[in-house]
Amino acid sequence: MFRFNPQTLKKLRRFREIKRGYYSFLLLAGMLVLASFGELLINNRALVVSYEGELYFPTYSDFHPGTDFGLSYSYEANYRELKQQFKENGNENWVLMPIVPYNPYENHSPGGVFKPDPPSISNRHFLGTDTTSRDILSRLFYGTRIALIFSLAFMACVYVIGISIGCAMGYFGGIFDLTFQRLIEIWSNVPFLYMVIIVFSVIPSNFSIPARVAILLTVMVLFSWTSMTYYMRTETYKEKSRDYTAAARIIGASNTRIIFRHILPNALSTLVTFMPFTIVGAISAITALDFLGFGLPPPTPSLGELLKQGTANLRTAPWIVSSAFGTLVILLTLVTFIGEAVRESFDPKQFTIYR
Amino acid sequence: MKIYFNRIVLLVGVSTFLLSGCSEPASDAPISDLETPDNTQEIQDYYASKPEFFSFKTLADIPPTLNWQNGTYLPEIGSTNAKKGGTEYTQIQDFPRTLRIVGPDSNGSFRPWILDDTSMQIGHRHPDKFEYYPGLADSWAVDKESKTIFVKLDSNASWSDGVPITSDDFMFMFWFFQSPYIVAPWYNNWYGTQYTNITKYDEQTFSISIPDAKPDMDARVLELRPMPQHFYKEVGDDFVERYQWRFAPTSAPYVIKDKDIKKGRLITLTRNKNWWANDKKFWQYRFNADRIRISVIRDTPKVFEAFKRGDIDQFGLNLAEYWYEKLPNNDADVAAGYIHKSVFYNQRPRPTYGLWMNTSRPLLENRDIRVGINYATNWQLVIDKFFRGDYSRMQTSSDGYGEFTHPTLKARSFSIEKALRSFAKAGFAQRGPDGILVNDEGQKLAFTLSSGWENLKDILTILKEEAAKAGLEFRVEVLDGTTGWKKVQEKKHDIHFSAFNVSLEMYPRFWETYHSDNAYDDAFLEDGSVNPDRKLITQTNNLETLSIFEMDDMIHRYRASDSKDEMKELAFAMTELHHEHASFSPGFYQPFFRVGHWRWVRYPESFSYKHARSGGQLFVHWIDTDMKEETLSAKNDGKSFEPQVRNYDQHAN
Repeated sequence: MFRFNPQTLKKLRRFREIKRGYYSFLLLAGMLVLASFGELLINNRALVVSYEGELYFPTYSDFHPGTDFGLSYSYEANYRELKQQFKENGNENWVLMPIVPYNPYENHSPGGVFKPDPPSISNRHFLGTDTTSRDILSRLFYGTRIALIFSLAFMACVYVIGISIGCAMGYFGGIFDLTFQRLIEIWSNVPFLYMVIIVFSVIPSNFSIPARVAILLTVMVLFSWTSMTYYMRTETYKEKSRDYTAAARIIGASNTRIIFRHILPNALSTLVTFMPFTIVGAISAITALDFLGFGLPPPTPSLGELLKQGTANLRTAPWIVSSAFGTLVILLTLVTFIGEAVRESFDPKQFTIYR
Repeated sequence: MKIYFNRIVLLVGVSTFLLSGCSEPASDAPISDLETPDNTQEIQDYYASKPEFFSFKTLADIPPTLNWQNGTYLPEIGSTNAKKGGTEYTQIQDFPRTLRIVGPDSNGSFRPWILDDTSMQIGHRHPDKFEYYPGLADSWAVDKESKTIFVKLDSNASWSDGVPITSDDFMFMFWFFQSPYIVAPWYNNWYGTQYTNITKYDEQTFSISIPDAKPDMDARVLELRPMPQHFYKEVGDDFVERYQWRFAPTSAPYVIKDKDIKKGRLITLTRNKNWWANDKKFWQYRFNADRIRISVIRDTPKVFEAFKRGDIDQFGLNLAEYWYEKLPNNDADVAAGYIHKSVFYNQRPRPTYGLWMNTSRPLLENRDIRVGINYATNWQLVIDKFFRGDYSRMQTSSDGYGEFTHPTLKARSFSIEKALRSFAKAGFAQRGPDGILVNDEGQKLAFTLSSGWENLKDILTILKEEAAKAGLEFRVEVLDGTTGWKKVQEKKHDIHFSAFNVSLEMYPRFWETYHSDNAYDDAFLEDGSVNPDRKLITQTNNLETLSIFEMDDMIHRYRASDSKDEMKELAFAMTELHHEHASFSPGFYQPFFRVGHWRWVRYPESFSYKHARSGGQLFVHWIDTDMKEETLSAKNDGKSFEPQVRNYDQHAN
């Protein structure tokens, strides 16, 4: 069974003691859990439809054409209208809708024309609508989810590449180290933003949206892993010259064993502290790219796109920018609080006399 | 020349992100070689080498029976109340990349200020009557028989530097536009093939011949603009760099002084007080502002803020969100009468907004699918909800040409049943798990719907949502303007949302967009059947890669015809055939233009003219400096005026 060593347990205990960071962590974790079941909360598909004595759960299933529920059309049933209709007919049938009955793509205009509508509880547009009458809460929610997933994936990729290359550089040293250092120096001088713009202007159009998101992720990772290698390299150098590593080598441990059992666990504690800040960086980057129009392809919901709409409609629709900005501030603050707490609890100076 | 415009696609609000606005070129001075080149001899040799094109004759050679006309019976343009003077403040999205009017980068949004909207042609179409009134010409005569137009220039006509405009400048124009130095293949082709001869009779008299007699053959010659030969003496291999930032002498009322070019930020036009046409009948009440200050503001929201502050005088309110929300009638400045709002309904050929389907693509080559796409595209919803019912549905790809527009043909309107029926005929009868149709092989009915218009991307998402109801998936792709245009020019699109800007002409053009010459290198075999080895050709405006043998034939007859009735008949037949082919889904057109302007920007009683494109195009407005002072002080004191929201619908359909 996997067991944390006492050092780590101590650090985790300390993390729990730092209330601000700990509660931020809980809140963010809660948000992530919530987001993974988002379709049940914010969706235009009903949670449950009871029609002619039979129960339907359309949320995660294949689409139901209107004809399934006695409507005349063959495209996807409009559950909001269906609910209204069942109510009016007054028979046994009923529909249970999610709290926010809109998906992030549909244009739902209570007033008949597509324009930003202010927040309204009666329309269930709790944060209002954007310039084409799409529900802002819905777009924010899914936009945030995509940003979080994106930044987690980004962090994972950057760490895998950064750690393995940095560690190898530090451990093997010599020519290998020298060559890679020079390569990294050159590579890290390529302007990242321009590269994203250039790459995106040449991507063939027949790529699907997930493919385009994956390409964006790849490009961002390609230009972001370098900084991680610096920390990892020095850390490995330091650990390599410690007695316990020398001892392991004398016993005859293989390189793999030394790296994975001795050096990595000891070096990781410092790297962990960078994680939340990498996430902050990734969220800001994807938002900035979206804002500039080089990020996620439309109509993908995104914070940056909402911010852009908001700044273009500051006077007439302040609710767009305030919701997007508010979400971004809350999200980044939470992650930063977590980051600070992690750093504080993982600070080696607290427990050792090493300087 | 209005013809130029046909090569540009409307790039509404393209932001050139990579353009660094702050980089100053190393030197503004013209490249100073030790010796200034002189092409006079080269030009003379060129004339001599093409005697059939460049001829020299005497006045006695002009046929005596010609019917000379000068259009002076047409009504004046502009208001007698117009006052000269004042400075107009306006804005442009990008600083011009060159002051050249031809060659690389010249065809930008700045050129209308120095060429298209301001400089003089031989004659101009009257914006109300459609007939020609004189520009540089004193009179002209059309000889149908010899396919020649004779022109007598106004003896006072001169360039802004005082040098008279003569027949030589017109001969030079042909050399200039035919020369490879200007790096503009389209001009080389147009001036090399669409004209057959220029003959000089004396300094003020010349004639130009064209290959085919057309009902509007006068247009092709009268809309020519001469080029100042004395200024372009140094044209040679380095033309593009040598003339990059040199302002050419112009026949226009506005000139640009070197000190008024602040690169990347601001450019100012100054009215030429000695402009030769100052007192001419059709020109005297126009071009009223003494100076026009054009500053660079990239973002539309920022432009609007600048307008609201009074930093710029006018703002286009064509978009519904600006007309209804950002500057509503109850806006403080509008209600107090400081800012006036005007709608003017016009009549002119409409830009072809719609979906252009690339028929060389798999699936899209199937007519049933194209018909289905036409039915599955809910333009009416876009018009009703996005444009708030202000715009109208485009019916054919050649709307707004008066009697040349098909009178009865209607575009297919949104119908899920008809779309489904049509898709079923093509084998797409089953809906997949996401509601999108699939055929027996499991292939999805999905296409990329691309566009170069970032600011109209919402239209695409509306269409996407609606099309899904008919089981059709649009994969929306919004590109920046240049990339989008490049994509369709390389014919790499499935379906593209775009429009060709069209100029004020008597009848629509078909060759550019529908002739197989612009789709394939060798489209048909001798017997009219499809050539199996044909290859796509790129960089043409046939965005549908449309190639129909019958259509080609009709286009040839249409181009060669000199009878208006025959041309009308052919135009209708071609429009019907195009409709039948269903490779274009006509979108919408805007039957008006809308402007918001500060009170001190005054317009004539009728505001504008029947065929005008925009409020500023004809320069009939003027800046009332007294009123500006009055308005600004009234604004400070909280005094208000009568609010003015005017609707000019005298030319509405």
